[in-house]
Amino acid sequence: MDKKILEIMQRVFQLPDLTVECSQANCEKWDSLHHLNLIVELEDEFDTEFEPEEIAEMKSFEAIKSTIQSHM
Amino acid sequence: MFVFRNYTIENLFSNDTRFSGYDDVSYIPTDERELVWLYFAPVNFDVESKIAQIDSWRHSLSLVVNALNTEQTLYICTLIDTFAVTLVDTNRGVETAIANFNTYVSDLAAVNSQIKLIDIADYFCQYPRLELTNWRFYFISQMIISPAVAIGFSDWFMLRKSQINGSRKKCIVLDLDNTLWGGVVGEDGIDGIKIGGDYPGNVYLYFQQALISLTQTGVIIAVCSKNNEADILEVWDKNPFVRLNKQYISAYRINWNNKADNIREIAAELNIGLDSMVFIDDNPTERELVRQQLPMVAVPEFPKKPYGLMELYALIVAKFFRTTTLTVEDLGKTEQYRANAQRKAVSKQFTDLSEYIRNLEIKINITPANSFNIPRIAQMTQKTNQFNLTTRRYSEADINSFINSGHQVICVSVSDRFGDNGITAAAIIKQSGDTAHIDSFLLSCRILGKNIETAILNTILNDYFDKGITKITAEYIQTAKNAQVADFYDRHGFTVKNETDNSKLYCVELKETRIIDSGYTIIRN
Repeated sequence: MDKKILEIMQRVFQLPDLTVECSQANCEKWDSLHHLNLIVELEDEFDTEFEPEEIAEMKSFEAIKSTIQSHM
Repeated sequence: MFVFRNYTIENLFSNDTRFSGYDDVSYIPTDERELVWLYFAPVNFDVESKIAQIDSWRHSLSLVVNALNTEQTLYICTLIDTFAVTLVDTNRGVETAIANFNTYVSDLAAVNSQIKLIDIADYFCQYPRLELTNWRFYFISQMIISPAVAIGFSDWFMLRKSQINGSRKKCIVLDLDNTLWGGVVGEDGIDGIKIGGDYPGNVYLYFQQALISLTQTGVIIAVCSKNNEADILEVWDKNPFVRLNKQYISAYRINWNNKADNIREIAAELNIGLDSMVFIDDNPTERELVRQQLPMVAVPEFPKKPYGLMELYALIVAKFFRTTTLTVEDLGKTEQYRANAQRKAVSKQFTDLSEYIRNLEIKINITPANSFNIPRIAQMTQKTNQFNLTTRRYSEADINSFINSGHQVICVSVSDRFGDNGITAAAIIKQSGDTAHIDSFLLSCRILGKNIETAILNTILNDYFDKGITKITAEYIQTAKNAQVADFYDRHGFTVKNETDNSKLYCVELKETRIIDSGYTIIRN
């Protein structure tokens, strides 16, 4: 799962070197539009839907991972 | 591309698109050639305020329209309501406001050639209204169109845009028996064919009327049928239910020859390219033959049952004949092609070309480009393939920018005693110092074969000679289709200065006024 999340983040932000350290705070490209694109891609890949409250929190690799885990 | 919007619609366009603020026209870029207006009806539960907001957009839009510079094109999308919850069936206020707005924008597009209308309902009607918005995303980010719906929009939009700016087919070639009527004239007789009345005759009548409506938008109709010509002439003459008759048909081949050969002949007679033709025939063998021998002719499948003709009509319009606005030439086109056929008839009686030309009373009208003819000039650079020296494709914005840079854009219309051919030639000439360079020179095939091209070129050269500009350069760039003009400049006294595999650069030093055949009357505006 880590690998899939990372691949999606790398694709959405177009940053092939992006690592698990990435968060909205340290990633310049992570604006609100990219955030939405990221959510849409993640929902598609993991076949789930996130609640608005969750979407607001999913602003780092770790936070994304734990939200997805809670959906499984 | 720069998009004026009132919601988050970034997901409808590609990444390199720029956007206005929400419902904001205070900034109108001057450096973007393509502007887009894409607003959605507001999600607003106060009906009066919703109507007022929609009405106010006419004013915002007019600010954008007035700020357009000559090199910009504005694509205005029609307004749709993504979330219409009706409380009172007889209150149509919001629907009326939307309809008024859409009428306003289509009127704008009809009179201003820099404005193009894109009806987005064509795209969004594929989806149930309640699926258009994903409310989770709407409330997080004002995103009005759900990602699932948005996914194909960008490609659709680009396709519509290229259709608007590009190649419409010119001619539809029709079979007769079991295509325009039910049955076979040779077996059922001229009054035994099924046309009008009960099913299936009523379908064929509808189909004929639908095809006639195409001619009113400049599409040419030709007929290619295996029959005895005399029988068909009698049908056209005597069967009152056959509406699509000789009056609408610009050329026909009714004989027992190979249809591919017949279509080639029709293309030559009408002076149009095979790639601008669509062939309709109920017989799969004939369709296959034409597909194999003339792969550039579009050959749609034919419905298995007569009632399928309505879908066939909708399909060929969407695919081949739809256009946003009609040019004056489109409206007169069928008339022009028919007059051309008469010209060919005259041509056969004369053996001496110059006598024939004198008899035609050809008038060549040379006009500098202006706002009325620029759309047609751009259209010609896009469509003209055969008599086109450089085949440079230009948009209206390009033409405007040439004029603004002081280049000469010349527009030529040609008429004769059979009718007005409209704007059928254009030249773009860039002058620097004492040299003029012919960047583009092109003629519609409708007027070829009468040495009109020589008269036009010499008139242009004489004008430069009179102005004291004697050094003229010109180019030929080879394409798959323009072989007939490969030696055009050689034939007109130019010498090759530079040559590559697929292009030649020419030069000529003007020493005297060139003689123009007295058979032509040159008119200058």
